Amino acid sequence: MAYAYLFKYIIIGDTGVGKSCLLLQFTDKRFQPVHDLTIGVEFGARMITIDGKQIKLQIWDTAGQESFRSITRSYYRGAAGALLVYDITRRDTFNHLTTWLEDARQHSNSNMVIMLIGNKSDLESRREVKKEEGEAFAREHGLIFMETSAKTASNVEEAFINTAKEIYEKIQEGVFDINNEANGIKIGPQHAATNSTMGGSQGGQQAGGGCC
Amino acid sequence: MDFLRGVMGSKPAGPQPTGAETIQKLCDRVASSTLLEDRRDAVRALKSLSKKYRLEVGTMSMDHLVRILQTDRSDTEILGYALDTLYNIVCNDEEEEQDDSEEENQQKQEDDLGAQFTDKFIQEPENITLLLTLLEEFDFHVRWPGVKLLTALLKSQCAQVQGIVLVSPMGVSRLMDLLADSREVIRNDGLLLLQQLTKGNAAIQKIVAFENAFERLLDIITEEGSSDGGIVVEDCLLLLLNLLKNNSSNQNFFKEGSYIQKMKPWFEVGDDNSGWSAQKVTNLHLMLQLVRVLVSPVNSPGATASCQKAMFQCGLLQQLCTILMATGVPADILTETINTVSEVIRGSEVNQDYFASVNAPSNPPRPAIVVLLMSMVNERQPFVLRCAVLYCFQCFLYKNQKGQGEIVATLLPSTIDANSISAGQLLCGGLFSADSLSNWCAAVALAHALQDNLTQKEQLLRVQLATSLGKPPVSLLQQCTNILSQGDKLNRRGSRVQTKVGLLMLLCTWISNCPIAVMHFLHNQDNVPFLTGQISENLGEDERLVQGLCALLLGICIYYNDNSLENYTKEKLKQLIEKRIGKENFVEKLAFITKHELYSRAAQKPQPAFSTPEHMLFDHEFTKLVKELEGMITKAVLRSSEEEKKEEEVKKTLEQHDSIVTQYKELIREQDSQINELKKQVTALTSQTENLESTITQQLSQIQQHKDQYNILKLKLGKDTQQAGNQAEAAHVNGLQPEELSQLRERLEEVQRQNQLLQTQLTEKDSLITSLKAEGVPSVEDSTSEVTELRKEVEGLKAQLQSQTAEITQLQNERQELLRGSEPTVAVPAEESVYKEKIAELESRLSAQTTENQKLKGEVKTLLESKESMEKDLASATSTSAILQAEKNKLQQEVQESKKEQDDLLMLLADQDQKILNLKQRLKDLGEPIEDEDELDSRDQFEDDDEEEEEEECDE
Repeated sequence: MAYAYLFKYIIIGDTGVGKSCLLLQFTDKRFQPVHDLTIGVEFGARMITIDGKQIKLQIWDTAGQESFRSITRSYYRGAAGALLVYDITRRDTFNHLTTWLEDARQHSNSNMVIMLIGNKSDLESRREVKKEEGEAFAREHGLIFMETSAKTASNVEEAFINTAKEIYEKIQEGVFDINNEANGIKIGPQHAATNSTMGGSQGGQQAGGGCC
Repeated sequence: MDFLRGVMGSKPAGPQPTGAETIQKLCDRVASSTLLEDRRDAVRALKSLSKKYRLEVGTMSMDHLVRILQTDRSDTEILGYALDTLYNIVCNDEEEEQDDSEEENQQKQEDDLGAQFTDKFIQEPENITLLLTLLEEFDFHVRWPGVKLLTALLKSQCAQVQGIVLVSPMGVSRLMDLLADSREVIRNDGLLLLQQLTKGNAAIQKIVAFENAFERLLDIITEEGSSDGGIVVEDCLLLLLNLLKNNSSNQNFFKEGSYIQKMKPWFEVGDDNSGWSAQKVTNLHLMLQLVRVLVSPVNSPGATASCQKAMFQCGLLQQLCTILMATGVPADILTETINTVSEVIRGSEVNQDYFASVNAPSNPPRPAIVVLLMSMVNERQPFVLRCAVLYCFQCFLYKNQKGQGEIVATLLPSTIDANSISAGQLLCGGLFSADSLSNWCAAVALAHALQDNLTQKEQLLRVQLATSLGKPPVSLLQQCTNILSQGDKLNRRGSRVQTKVGLLMLLCTWISNCPIAVMHFLHNQDNVPFLTGQISENLGEDERLVQGLCALLLGICIYYNDNSLENYTKEKLKQLIEKRIGKENFVEKLAFITKHELYSRAAQKPQPAFSTPEHMLFDHEFTKLVKELEGMITKAVLRSSEEEKKEEEVKKTLEQHDSIVTQYKELIREQDSQINELKKQVTALTSQTENLESTITQQLSQIQQHKDQYNILKLKLGKDTQQAGNQAEAAHVNGLQPEELSQLRERLEEVQRQNQLLQTQLTEKDSLITSLKAEGVPSVEDSTSEVTELRKEVEGLKAQLQSQTAEITQLQNERQELLRGSEPTVAVPAEESVYKEKIAELESRLSAQTTENQKLKGEVKTLLESKESMEKDLASATSTSAILQAEKNKLQQEVQESKKEQDDLLMLLADQDQKILNLKQRLKDLGEPIEDEDELDSRDQFEDDDEEEEEEECDE
């Protein structure tokens, strides 16, 4: 399908916080209560609309386990957006956020948009991390914040879309170099054709050549 | 280094001592020389020796070379030599010069050598990391040998090196950058490196894909001319295969990235006949394999289905079908295309329908299916092609009831078309041809037309075959069994077993789960004796499978027997087995099927792929059927008749129980549904009543409200009327009795009367006022301004009055409305409504009157007030006039007094005049001139008068 932009996302965070479930809820609109441990990374994709433009999201859901950390680090550099997820019913997953953030900042490109997500907001009775704490952490580190529930689908859509909006705004502001695909952003084939004078990029020409 | 010594010892002659010594010297120079040039020369020398003295150079210099890589980063030349040297000692491929004269053993040792040196090199994982950083060096002399070295390391110790690259930060990304290198050699060797790197490592495959590998590889393929391109295209395709094979995540990414659409132009080869080079054949073969990887039957059904959909939507399937029907396509490409089309349509209704509609460009046009089947039953066609066609046919019928029906229909007498060749005819032809391979393929193909389709199993029973002239037609089923039992007189090519196996598989598929077909089969008296004979006979090894299949067929006859044939009931057949074969023997023979070596291979995947035509024995779908039936048949046969009877009794009682239970269940279900319905009704009713109650209370409260409002209005009204002096009794206007009506009328009249009274009073008062005004105005001119003020006030009051009256009417209107509003909620009898209307009329009249009354009253009041004020004015005016009168009186008194004085003075004057006259007379008398004096006197007299008046005024 034709798209104006393509954004690459990664989902990171401790094991068991619901990263794969968030992705499944976003791409398939369903919830799987029992989910196998993710091995390495898994891929998912969906089309969204922002500002009347079709945007394709390609999402790499990473394994949270420590043993996969070195593998998942390979995905930071090429991503335009990251969803950093913790579990509001497990304080330790919140405490590890600093490590995750350091890791992400170290290996990603500096413009990567990071959305902090407190997942499992449906389990209010077992909550260990207050919403205010999440908000404070996000404020402190310049992240966008949201509490979601992959189970009830609450805010899941918004989390992915708001991240895309932020990236989109950064593109409008000219912060991102959209001609460098290593940033996790790609201009769509038809878009590249219309913007050929502006872009004139190799990527755009190649995409144009490939689609016919 | 024991192993090295071992290797050295095995060499008969041993290395030349000078060589080892030289290498040692060179190593020393590399290690100790402070001059770069010196070190560089030494490394160059080592490089030149590294092929000939691989073992020695490897053993002695590796550490030194690694150190050079670490320390001499600035000199690309020495780095290049060091990398080349390492490559030479690690790589096994460079032994090409070694001729066949060298023993094979030697070659193996060389291989070991490469592995051992690799082991040594990667013992320090940092060495790999170091190598990865060196690959960032743009200089050709560093990058190229670096790429080759890493490729060699991967080739010899794949998993370990992969593991190290995987955990090195940015490791894979750096290697991906090689594909963007402008120097083709590096890009192409980069491709080879990535091929090795991605071999069997899903994690690396995913990272490579994440780093836009698909995009870049597809671009390179396009740049290089797609299938017409050279070996680079082949390398790209191999890498793509590595990335996609058995990697569902990457397959999903590939599909989501719309890369399937980019594959379509690959297959636009058409009929141009521009020649099919070996490279083009290889490229196209790999391209077809890539398509197959995406729609492989072993993938998850959802993933395959979405790829199949995409392939149809972008026209890729159509393009493949064009190749299928094109001329001049090499056989192996055609075969692989058929296999690819098979998997693109397998289980996908839309794609299957499209495939059924494809026509070959022949004259007249024939369906592609027919053309393909012609190849399948044509023994001159290559074996793999025939297998591919069978696979295609199977895939076309897989989960395709419509397709199955269409195929079977071409055999039915009603729909048969004599003029053209149909699929059914071709299959029958194949079934009874002299070629065993055709027999087998046709049998399996026909079996697939019946798979899981009871309707077609029954339909196919209707098929009759014309045999030689003069003989009655024979059914297809019978013909199959005839060939099996009697054997035909044909001199067959191929193996008889293959034919038998094919037919038996067809029969098993046909009659399983179809009691009518079982009955048809048993109806022929020859069939059962033939089967029992086959099973009980002690046949050779190659006939064992046939025995097993016969046992299976007999088993199916028992299992799916509806006992409608007296001679061949379940029971009788079992007795037959017991007598003629023996139960144990039967089960043993049955097990021959699954024990066959080719059985498990066929069970693995749907595609019929056999190394030789002789191996073509089992069909994939048939293995599923065997799995399903074997246990059930074994159980059914092993049970003794008594057991069976008992069991059947038990079964019967169970069935009875079951039926009772089911009856009860149904009853319960019915009751349950009834209860549910009733519950629903109850809830509906309760909710309804609740609703009604609430409306009632609402209405009641409304009514109450209306009543209250009405009472308030009434009270107001009452007050008003009382104020006006109305004595009308507080009649219940709300009451709807006729006598109240009359009361109201009376009241109205009274009000009217009083109104008149008031009006008369008013006129009286008015006239009074005017008279008073008339009186007051002339007497008191200075009080008029006050009066106008008063008038203004009066007018203001009048305005107020009017607004109030308006308010009152408004309120009354409101009340009227409310009364009207409450009407529909209260159930009012029809006659009462009439009264109500009357009342309303009267009330409106009453209210009009009252307002008039009110108005008049107000006027009266204001007029009274103005009258009072006028009177007051009048009083004040009169008082002032009284004062003025008093003053006037006083003045008049004074005037009188002064008049009196004047009179006195006049009298005095007259006296004096008299005296003057007297004196004048006397003077006259005395003779004195008096005329002047007279005049003087008169003048004096006048002056005197003036004086007098002046005096008067002064007094005042």
